[in-house]
Amino acid sequence: MSPQVPDLIVRAVLRLYPAAFRERFGDDLASVYRLARADAAIAGRRSVAQFWLGVAGDALVRAPGEHMRLTLNDLRHAARALRRSPVFALVAIATLTLGIGATTAIFSVVNAVAFQDLPAHEPGRLVRLWEKNDKLNIPRFSASVPNYVSWRERVKAFDQLGAWRSTSATITTGGDPQRVSRLEITSSVLPLLGVAPLSGRNLSADEDRPGGPHAVLLAETVWRNRFGASPDLLGQSIVLDGVAYSVVGIVRDRDLLLPFHVLTPLAPDLSKENRSNHMLTVIGRLRPGVTLAQAQREMDGIATQLGKEFPKDDADWGVTMATAYDWLVPETIRRSLYILLGAVMVVLLIACTNIANLTLARAALRRREQAVRLALGASRARVVQEVLTESTLLALIGGAGGLVMAYWLVPVFRTQLALLLPRADGIAIDGRVLVFALAVSVITGLLFGAIPAVLNSRRDVVDALKDGGRNSGGRQEGFARRALVVGQLALATVLVAGAALLVQSFMRLQRVDLGFRTDRLTVASIGLPQTRYPDHAAGWQFYTRAIDQLRGTAGIAAVGLSSGPPLAGNGTAMPVRTEGRSALGDKQLQADWRMVSPDYFAAMGIPLLRGRTFTSADRRGGGDVIVLSAGMAHRLWPDEDPIGRVILTGSPFRVIGVVGDVRNASQAVDPRPTMYLSATQYLWPTMTLVVRTATDIPVAEQLRKTVGGLDPQLAVYNIRPMDGLLQTSTAQPRLTAWLVGSFAVLALLLAGLGVYGVLAYLVTQRTREIGVRLALGARPSSVLRLVVAHSLRLSVAGVAIGTIAAVMLGPALESQLFAVKARDAVTLSSVAIALIAIATLASYLPARRATRLNPLAALRVE
Amino acid sequence: MASRDPDVDALLPLPPAVLHILIALGDGDKHGYAVMTEVAARTGGKVRMSPGTLYGSIRKMLDGGLIEEFSPRPREQADERRRYYRLTKFGRTVAAAEIARLTALLHHARLNGLAPGQG
Repeated sequence: MSPQVPDLIVRAVLRLYPAAFRERFGDDLASVYRLARADAAIAGRRSVAQFWLGVAGDALVRAPGEHMRLTLNDLRHAARALRRSPVFALVAIATLTLGIGATTAIFSVVNAVAFQDLPAHEPGRLVRLWEKNDKLNIPRFSASVPNYVSWRERVKAFDQLGAWRSTSATITTGGDPQRVSRLEITSSVLPLLGVAPLSGRNLSADEDRPGGPHAVLLAETVWRNRFGASPDLLGQSIVLDGVAYSVVGIVRDRDLLLPFHVLTPLAPDLSKENRSNHMLTVIGRLRPGVTLAQAQREMDGIATQLGKEFPKDDADWGVTMATAYDWLVPETIRRSLYILLGAVMVVLLIACTNIANLTLARAALRRREQAVRLALGASRARVVQEVLTESTLLALIGGAGGLVMAYWLVPVFRTQLALLLPRADGIAIDGRVLVFALAVSVITGLLFGAIPAVLNSRRDVVDALKDGGRNSGGRQEGFARRALVVGQLALATVLVAGAALLVQSFMRLQRVDLGFRTDRLTVASIGLPQTRYPDHAAGWQFYTRAIDQLRGTAGIAAVGLSSGPPLAGNGTAMPVRTEGRSALGDKQLQADWRMVSPDYFAAMGIPLLRGRTFTSADRRGGGDVIVLSAGMAHRLWPDEDPIGRVILTGSPFRVIGVVGDVRNASQAVDPRPTMYLSATQYLWPTMTLVVRTATDIPVAEQLRKTVGGLDPQLAVYNIRPMDGLLQTSTAQPRLTAWLVGSFAVLALLLAGLGVYGVLAYLVTQRTREIGVRLALGARPSSVLRLVVAHSLRLSVAGVAIGTIAAVMLGPALESQLFAVKARDAVTLSSVAIALIAIATLASYLPARRATRLNPLAALRVE
Repeated sequence: MASRDPDVDALLPLPPAVLHILIALGDGDKHGYAVMTEVAARTGGKVRMSPGTLYGSIRKMLDGGLIEEFSPRPREQADERRRYYRLTKFGRTVAAAEIARLTALLHHARLNGLAPGQG
């Protein structure tokens, strides 16, 4: 071993100590170690080994203590310095609390919605499968029961496939009739998800067979709320839609990925199902090691095969799939959350630049003190570290405040967002959020501390001392301040531009003509169990009586019935052809359909444009009639009268009328071709009453009374004012627009303050020069121009950079916008002008102060 | 036993390493390694200060003004840029106060029959 090697090792170990300690004692320590090693070498090999153990142990025990001591010293120093300037400390801490608090709170939402794993075993292998039809422009559609069964028999890429159908049922055991959401599941669903019932057992294969025993699994909340968590419930019977089911198990509410109350067997009966009846949600668990793309290829093959085997129903139908995560937490929602998180972080960044500017101003005051320390031999690293300690201390205090704020905001978010976002019930401050808050605080502290720290340590010591503590900043510092303001304005421009687009988009969304009147309109759902309403006649008789009674009630102006009112989220569509000549030729058109009562159009305020609406004379079996939306009529017969023409949906329907277009899906979706079937001829198992009132009466109560009077076993559910549905359907764009808008206002305020601060500093800095100018006869207006021109240069630079960034970031926002382009020139230029105006306004106070300087006083400044 | 100087009182009781270093420097100025060997020799090898402990304590004592460092004139065999340490007046006062405290403690222990060699 070369004689230098042990020395090098010792030197390396000494690097564990803080630099300051090493600089002071490093050489001495090394020399002591050298002597000690020499002594050990004389004493023998064992002593040498002991020596090396000692070296290592010594450093491991002593070095952390030395580090800690320095940090504590710095912290004490920083705390003292902050106490000496309480206004700075308070402003900085308050700004950071708001910034970090808002960022942390938004992150807690993103964390719960987008970052958490699904509550299933190995959720990455869970996949949702849909049928699709490219020719009919149907990207995703439920699967038919026979197709699901064929997939299950043939596919190898999946360990298991499972399926369910979402329906509802009225439960009459254990209290008043209650409408509950029911999933009819295959017995493979629970094992596939990897969940076990809380108590009891899963459905058996026997129960999942046509004609098998009626078994039911209850959601934990139903078990607790309706049955008082009775342990004896297992094995007992409960009645759903008039049929007795034996309770075999209890399942946690969150275990099924989707909300549900009861689970019953799907028991697919191939003898009763056909392949064109699409109604199943199909999920699968990929075999270990199989990728989504591989599974997709296999399913493509199977779909092609089925198309050949069953050309009537399956031709042109394919399969598409997505991971369960992408299905349940859609890309658009994730994107809107990332936009929110980005927006709030921009605000935090702008706040950081403000504090960096304040810190620079403070650093100017402390320059002399630091120059003295440097002159006395303190290392530059130490000076940097001291400034960073102070900024990190501030940021950590702000971060602690921010966490308190987030703790306060989280329950608000959880309740307010429950209907808007999937998994909002999971919003909480968990470990990940805490780590995020800590990281954001530390990074924030380093960010706004770094520039002043580096500038101060670089300063020429002699200059600073000669300076006599005058507050004139160096050229570097002036540049840094200007760069900060330009950056700040650029950030603010991006944020304000985004907010302006989102708010405009939201306002346009609100002004959209829905095609019907939403005021004083209430919707309520009813499901008629097939056991007691076996055919159309029984059902229609019930609805006729209900409608007549409601219409006779004081305060109710009109009552209608529909299989799916607008905005309620239940779309039904099917492909149609026409008989005879039409613009379709021999192609099909995918059209929405609704079954509605004769008075539906009047109750909704949907105008009749041509022909007539339904009457009670349109009887079942008496020739099927149909009413088209204007858009659909135009699509089929653009130049001809559609009345009397025939539409084929399997069987022929004669067109009797044309009504106005309605936005059924949401405000953002253009009206789709829609056809209305007559409820006098067809009824859906679940129908929705629409009630228009003339005065403010308790509609819900009246509905329950009327329906309960006709059939005490029926439950009226989902009673909602149409205004409420409207609110819900625009809630997400409203939230995004509102939050990003408030962030933008905050950003404007902060950026304005930033500009003000820098120009105020500029005026102070150039007081002498301005004094000389004034003394030499410069007019105040020219001084004003001097300051304002400076401000203009900064703001134009910042806004230009920001506008370029906004244009580049545009596509990220596009999916969130309605009826406005992300690169809308008018919006972007208005935002640019507004920002420059605000920056100029912010420069006004400092500029005015400059013009009012007393030249004599100004010259005496020193 | 409290001295009258609050600055001194604030430092008592001294950590054992600091007291050993003070005592080692009592009879003359030494460099670091000499302090280590002297302490080891005087305690019959029972107290072996590690270099980290030594210089950690020296740093504290320098900061506290108990000792001061100086570089002697380069001598013939100036192989090391060694620094030497000497007691300050304040250091002597502190050492005396600590010894007085320990003496009083020993006195009380003897009265209560705890000290060794008392029977």
